[in-house]
Amino acid sequence: MNKHPSPLWTHLTSENRMTGTWRSALPNYQNQPSPCLGACPVHGHIAEWIKQVKDGDVYGAWVTLTENNPFPAIAGRICHHPCESACNRQHMDETVGICSLERFVGDTALAEGWQFSAPPTQETSVAVIGGGPAGLSAAYQLRRRGFRVALYETKDELGGLMRFGIPAYRLARSVLDGEINRITAMGVDLHLGVPAVDGAALETLQNSHDAVFLATGASLPKRLPALDYANPWVVDSADFLAAPVSEQTDRTGARVIVIGGGSAAMDVARSARRLGRSVTVLALEPEGRLPAQRIEVEEAVEEGVNFVHGAMMKSAEALGSGVVLNCVRVDFEPGDAPGAFSVEPLDGSDFELMADTIIPAIGQDADLARWSGVLDAKGPVVATGRDWQTSKPGLYAGGDVASMNRFVTQAVGMGKEAATAIAAALTPGDARPPANGAAQVAYDRINIAYHDTHGRNRQRNTEIEARLATFDEVQQPLGPNEARSEAARCFSCGTCIYCDNCYFYCPDMAITKLENGYVVNSDYCKGCGLCVAECPTGSIHMREDTSS
Amino acid sequence: MEMTKYRDNGQFCSGHVACAGCAEALSMRVILNAVGEDTVGVVAPSCTAVILGGHPMSSAKIPVLHGTLESAAASASGVKRALKAQGRDDTTVLCLAGDGGTYDIGLQALSSAAERNEDILYVCFDNEGYMNTGGQKSSSTPHMATTGSTPLGKATHKKNLIEILAAHRIPYIATASPSHLSDLAAKVEKAKSIRGTKVIIVLIPCLPGWGVADNAAVKTARLAVEAGAFPLLEIEDGVHYSLTVAEKTRPIDAYLAEQKRYRRLSDEDRAALQSEVDDAWSRLLARAGKDLNA
Ligand SMILES: Cc1cc2nc3c(=O)[nH]c(=O)nc-3n(C[C@H](O)[C@H](O)[C@H](O)COP(=O)(O)OP(=O)(O)OC[C@H]3O[C@@H](n4cnc5c(N)ncnc54)[C@H](O)[C@@H]3O)c2cc1C
Ligand SMILES: Cc1ncc(C[n+]2csc(CCOP(=O)(O)OP(=O)(O)O)c2C)c(N)n1
Ligand code: SF4
Ligand code: SF4
Ligand code: SF4
Ligand SMILES: [Mg+2]
Repeated sequence: MNKHPSPLWTHLTSENRMTGTWRSALPNYQNQPSPCLGACPVHGHIAEWIKQVKDGDVYGAWVTLTENNPFPAIAGRICHHPCESACNRQHMDETVGICSLERFVGDTALAEGWQFSAPPTQETSVAVIGGGPAGLSAAYQLRRRGFRVALYETKDELGGLMRFGIPAYRLARSVLDGEINRITAMGVDLHLGVPAVDGAALETLQNSHDAVFLATGASLPKRLPALDYANPWVVDSADFLAAPVSEQTDRTGARVIVIGGGSAAMDVARSARRLGRSVTVLALEPEGRLPAQRIEVEEAVEEGVNFVHGAMMKSAEALGSGVVLNCVRVDFEPGDAPGAFSVEPLDGSDFELMADTIIPAIGQDADLARWSGVLDAKGPVVATGRDWQTSKPGLYAGGDVASMNRFVTQAVGMGKEAATAIAAALTPGDARPPANGAAQVAYDRINIAYHDTHGRNRQRNTEIEARLATFDEVQQPLGPNEARSEAARCFSCGTCIYCDNCYFYCPDMAITKLENGYVVNSDYCKGCGLCVAECPTGSIHMREDTSS
Repeated sequence: MEMTKYRDNGQFCSGHVACAGCAEALSMRVILNAVGEDTVGVVAPSCTAVILGGHPMSSAKIPVLHGTLESAAASASGVKRALKAQGRDDTTVLCLAGDGGTYDIGLQALSSAAERNEDILYVCFDNEGYMNTGGQKSSSTPHMATTGSTPLGKATHKKNLIEILAAHRIPYIATASPSHLSDLAAKVEKAKSIRGTKVIIVLIPCLPGWGVADNAAVKTARLAVEAGAFPLLEIEDGVHYSLTVAEKTRPIDAYLAEQKRYRRLSDEDRAALQSEVDDAWSRLLARAGKDLNA
């Protein structure tokens, strides 16, 4: 029966014609990794959680985020954010402020008191040595999977360099405590203030646990041969940064010279400025080529830190109540390996600098001597193979002790990977999911017609004068509206946003909407690729089809 | 830009024989669904006739009368009057024709219908040439574009049908693009609610005719709109101009580069086409701004 107002004069519908036979390629829905995910050291599902922020589901975003990283508020402040350097949006206007969004999610979780849930503790137990980001990340991932975790730490407090290196004006201690306490609240057997674990203790721990994760960091400061550290006017940067403000004040004179051009040197210099010291940084590298991040250098300059670039100290000696540094200008040549370099002093370029205190900040080494004869080393770090397993079966290592990728989130990522491997090794029949081999979504796969140009929502810093008066945080967070607006800038590369564009643009009605996704009707799809071209997120691609 | 949204009640069926990736089929999908089932179609010989028909099969869920190339608007007028005589004045008569059947061969019939203000909704699928017959030029083919019959590029300009129609003072004229499907649907719905002659001209980048990639018709149409080469507008009563996309946001180069029919252009040619677009755009802005006869 024809219920149309006018009778149809044709009696057959074109649906009898299978135009699918024309096709040589078929669209394929496949969520693909975004470039930011590829660059993220913890492999966080950035496109997914940013979409949740955009939709106003901050709790959901926090849950997604913390699958891989229990420290969003910390990482949102101090991560070196390689994700942003990889972000596709930079090719349109500016990268998405991923880090600032991560902070927004992390801060919201702390303010709301959101907690992790942990399954009941199993009998299988893992010892974690070192309570820095690597050890804490592993402990977290293991507790999430129900393992018993015992954590051994020489210090009385957890956090490693996040507490005893990174200054409070970059990472408020309340934030650090909040995110660490949330992990220990999952039920971690804490052993704080223990004697440093050595080879013998390691043996014992291996016997009393099913697996061990070593995350002792790089605890030995590199030393300048030209400097006698016994002098009262030499203060090592690690000791200085770890000390409370009162002690920092006691140990420094009015004029401080910091030797080194990396992040630690910037942290020392800016801390000393907050003590009211006049501060000069002496660095081998020419201007603009310091290993510290550009923004750190800029903020140091804003805070009145002086820089002497392209020079080195040859010797230092007491002179009157102060110290004189004999310096020379150098030709700096970077080497092939990261951190490698050579310097050539320039004849006749000697000069002097006057100071009251010298703080060398030239890097930290892993304490390999402690493990010699127990664990194999590979160059400056403990040797690890696949899954971060050391030369001792059942003993895994990660973070600064096992890698020269010395960043907090790198350590978190290694802790996660080692924990995943440990969990798989201790769970019979637990096959690890195969890695998603799909290629990352390139910029040309994003249809930018659906994304309006909009500059980045920037975080602001407190006024310079106010900064120098305290160790309060410099960087101010995005407000909720700014965060939503920033999240809306994300292209959701490779992650379907169910916008229906593919459905609406098919000239052949060959795409059907399902409850949660779409299906291509191969009877009619002619393989034109319009659906793919009009996808704003790069979540479909054409795949060769030889079936018909 | 907003995401796409329009209603699809299944008025246009799969299995039609439009080329893979055809923007005319895509636009048809939107139009047939927007105009609804209480509609009778009248179609001139054109790609549309091929896409909709092939008796006894049809891809449209409305009855369609296939007329002659000269007479689409006249046939549509007749159908409307017959429906009226049956007391079915509310049934929409949707007349579909190509640019050849509109700018050239059917212009007399359209002009007469417009002058009588016949109550029809006339859609011109403007693919800028006689395309289902192999790609010959029409008076809608733009300056310098190559076709089978203008192998060195067309020497004269595209006929300004919009101004011709405006001179008829019909209640509604609009242009639309397959890159802006929600807008197309909205314009069809608006036209449907108006009594009298309504004309919507839809730009259709023809894949073989223009030398556009199978997946690029929508992109090409979008570039035309963004470059101001095909402005999206509405004209009410022949005098009230309003621009749907009020700004032109890019030079014409990317639009030209997408199409093989402009492959032979020199830098001077491109510059000349750019200034033609710029001039036309300023004239349009003046009209949209003036709105004198309000
Ligand atoms: C001044 C400074 C600033 C930095 N700023 C940043 C930054 O802004 N962003 C960034 O991403 N990275 C930064 N880093 C690097 C980052 O802090 C480290 O890469 C990261 O903390 C390494 O984590 P980890 O867990 O491997 O080691 P650590 O953080 O060093 O933690 C190791 C823990 O193990 C304990 N431990 C050591 N030996 C033993 C033992 N034998 N037995 C038991 N416990 C032991 C230590 O007390 C410590 O708590 C900075 C580093 C420094 C020095
Ligand atoms: C008077 C007349 N001349 C020629 C033809 C052959 N003919 C059928 S369709 C067509 C081309 C029409 O071009 P257009 O209206 O632009 O439609 P398109 O094919 O481009 O969709 C021609 C020339 C005809 N049907 N009637
Ligand atoms: S646009 Fe979004 S998903 Fe794409 S790379 Fe940037 S942050 Fe990641
Ligand atoms: S738009 Fe339709 S016909 Fe074209 S490839 Fe996609 S599903 Fe197939
Ligand atoms: S067009 Fe939209 S709905 Fe379709 S795959 Fe892409 S993001 Fe998902
Ligand atoms: Mg035509």
